[in-house]
Amino acid sequence: MSSPSAHTAQHAPHGFIRKYIFSLDHKVIGLQYYFLGLFSVFLGMSLSLLMRYHMVNPNVAVSWFGKLWPTAAAGGVMTPELYLSLMTMHGTIMVFFVLTTVPQSGFGNYFLPIQIGAEDMAFPVLNMMSFWTTFLALIVMVAAFFVQGGAPLSGWTAYPPLSGAGRITGPGEGMGQNLWLVSIAIFCGASLMGAINFIATTVDLRCQGMRLMRMPLTCWTWLVTAILGLLGFAVLLAAGVLLLLDRVAGTSFFLPAGLMINDQILVSHKGGSPLLWQHLFWFFGHPEVYIAILPGMGITSQLLATFSRKPIFGYKAMVYAILSIGFLGFLVWGHHMFMSGMNPYSAMAFSVLTMAIGVPSAIKTFNWIGTLWGGKIHFDTAMLFALGFVSLFVTGGVSGIFLGQPALDLYFHDTYFVVGHFHMIMGVAAIFGMFAATFYWFPKMFGRMMNETLGKIHFYLTFIGVYAIFTPMHYLGIAGNPRRYSAFTDVEYLGKLIPVHQFMSWAAYVTATAQIIFLVNLFWSMRKGKPAPINPWHATSLEWTVPSPPPHDNFAGVHPVVHHGPYEYSVPGAVADFIMQTDPASVRSEG
Amino acid sequence: MSVHTEEVEHIGGATTMTFAKVWIALLAMTGVEVLLAYEQVPMMIMLTALLGLSIIKAALIIAYFMHLKFEKLSLFLTLFPMLVFCIILMLIFLGDAVRIPAMRPPV
Amino acid sequence: MSSQVSTAAATSLWEGGRSPYATNSKKFGMWLFIISDSLTFSALLFAYTYSRVSNPNWPTPFHFSPSIIFSTVMTFCLLSSSLTMVMAVHSMNHGKRKAAGAWILATMGGGAAFVVLHLSEWLNLINNEHVTPFENPWGVPLFGGTFFALTGLHMTHVVIGLIYLAIVCQAVFRGKFKAEDVEVSGLYWHFVDLVWMFIFPLVYLMSARVH
Repeated sequence: MSSPSAHTAQHAPHGFIRKYIFSLDHKVIGLQYYFLGLFSVFLGMSLSLLMRYHMVNPNVAVSWFGKLWPTAAAGGVMTPELYLSLMTMHGTIMVFFVLTTVPQSGFGNYFLPIQIGAEDMAFPVLNMMSFWTTFLALIVMVAAFFVQGGAPLSGWTAYPPLSGAGRITGPGEGMGQNLWLVSIAIFCGASLMGAINFIATTVDLRCQGMRLMRMPLTCWTWLVTAILGLLGFAVLLAAGVLLLLDRVAGTSFFLPAGLMINDQILVSHKGGSPLLWQHLFWFFGHPEVYIAILPGMGITSQLLATFSRKPIFGYKAMVYAILSIGFLGFLVWGHHMFMSGMNPYSAMAFSVLTMAIGVPSAIKTFNWIGTLWGGKIHFDTAMLFALGFVSLFVTGGVSGIFLGQPALDLYFHDTYFVVGHFHMIMGVAAIFGMFAATFYWFPKMFGRMMNETLGKIHFYLTFIGVYAIFTPMHYLGIAGNPRRYSAFTDVEYLGKLIPVHQFMSWAAYVTATAQIIFLVNLFWSMRKGKPAPINPWHATSLEWTVPSPPPHDNFAGVHPVVHHGPYEYSVPGAVADFIMQTDPASVRSEG
Repeated sequence: MSVHTEEVEHIGGATTMTFAKVWIALLAMTGVEVLLAYEQVPMMIMLTALLGLSIIKAALIIAYFMHLKFEKLSLFLTLFPMLVFCIILMLIFLGDAVRIPAMRPPV
Repeated sequence: MSSQVSTAAATSLWEGGRSPYATNSKKFGMWLFIISDSLTFSALLFAYTYSRVSNPNWPTPFHFSPSIIFSTVMTFCLLSSSLTMVMAVHSMNHGKRKAAGAWILATMGGGAAFVVLHLSEWLNLINNEHVTPFENPWGVPLFGGTFFALTGLHMTHVVIGLIYLAIVCQAVFRGKFKAEDVEVSGLYWHFVDLVWMFIFPLVYLMSARVH
């Protein structure tokens, strides 16, 4: 029987290139992913600000629009096509390059090996390749802005025939859409590499005593997220390849005969079905949103326990809830297709299953509340963001229950109600998870503390700001405001809703500006923050036993042995109000 | 290929003879499949038979050639249930495929 | 949860400190890749099935000669190459490096024969039968689309496998790779054969011309 392979270099690498560029060290790779995500989130946010500006000022000429986009914003006025391509790229960059990378490949890469007591991931070379492949995917994606016709305009969901019929459907639907598809295909490969690494590492490289049921909940969420990625991206790759073939090889997988586009009848395709794309895409697309949220849930559990000085309420239930969410996540994709013309009996089944997935999510929420109940709560910035996650997860999740009923979705589909729902959940709750993780783990990664005052100002501005931006969207949806429209001024009943849009746009500008506080805090603290002790939060998991930042092989040659579960806070009879997982003292412990 | 009187044991239990037998079985099943293609059987029966045979062939390759029969059961249980689960789920797509011919406008 | 004082001795395979499958991580990693790629091919086969079900006038033009004979010979090549690959792993496990290298070369031969036959079949279809990804004489363009997409992606995997095996072969001859590396490459090769076990009946045999 061979021991688990640990390909870590026996000695730390030398030279700038081996240390920081093509590093095999999971910690460096984690940071590389983090900064890729940080760049992407600001790019995506800028696009959304342009969108929000245009929606309330559709006919205003802005001179630098005209300079940036001489055709698409001729005379400085954004065309609807340009709006749609900004919207497409906003969604794509945020979902793929922020939400799928930072919580999993960013924080997961950095902390999974340490939390399970390993020296590195199972496949360090594969790990490095997964980052650079993701980087390549981002380059190709951004390149779509610069080609003839610009970026695609079919949304991050790229529904054919709009995305499949070629240049005739819009300026960005030429080379732009091809680059988008190639980028996504490359991203699928990168995700697959990451998923293999995470699963193999979690199963094979846990240190002695680190049973699965002793892993911090972050490790459970990274594991289930990796499994979702392994399976989901496989199907997306198939779909993307077929759509690319439709576009460049003349096939008709998704293109039926007789389509009329821009007064021309499409004669070169026959026999395909746009519904097939929707099935394939959403079969991936639904697990994808759980990929985006699960690590945030793990981090929230970690922080709530740490900052309430209490064990997580119902650890086993939390694990089963994570597994259930992962499992059920595959069974509900049809709820994105209620209005597609699909089989209405399938719709009924998908609806029931969608309601069902609310149960493990609710269990997690109640267990978070149970964790806080009676705890000695410390309102550090990291904790504030974790509490914010719970609040936003509930708000965003509840609107999902409405959307999961086909009778209601008949009305809400393609309105701002949907936009409000997914932004609350993905665009804010998941982002709060990343903020929380940043504040929590910054001391370990950089050896310095972030500034608490700046952190709290940033938190409150952002928390209030996001509620201000996204709550009104639900009312707009109920009022019938459609989504993916570049302007509302030409429709009378929508004209009455413009003041709400103006409010939301202003809230967006203010909230976006407040993010500068975070950037300042992040970069300033890296250099000038207060030096951090080894365990500033008095937390129990393994990363708090090693120096800040950890040495190249994490544990300096020592193989940790774990004796306790991950949430031994305020254990009766213990000396301190926490017991580290590696503490050999045998106080009566839970599992 | 061994010419000794005793078979060399493969690490984990399968012998060269086992591999050869599996290979013959795979070829035989392929032959059956090809013959089936030329019988006048209804489409669904043919599809069931072909899929059934293919699954058996796949199981033989996975178990013997890929050695999974001699690994720990937990490895098999980690890998295959999730794949089978996803494949079965994708059958739901076909519920929409059968409706399409009826929904096309007349030519 | 039961309270127990944990000792240093790990009794269960899942205690940590070892692989619970009692095998190396590289093999587990390759299996994970295989599961994912199998799902990609399954999705493609479902797209094919969907296309076929939604186009009831699907042609069944593959004559016994040359199409079915060719594809049957191709199947034989791939199945035999799987056998030679198993023998390569077997030899490597018994320390017979040169024999293992020879078996890998035989595997590559089977794979190369498959590719050559396949490409000539493609050329025949395109030039003589006028079947392309976007049109064919029978009016259902998806017939060619699905055929070339499925077989093309499979062939791409075969070619990648040939390159992979070439790398492994030369490393084995030079004494650089261990038995577990050969075994992992074997898993990939068998996976490629596995996919063909489904493509051959579903794409070729289900479109055979019955007289």
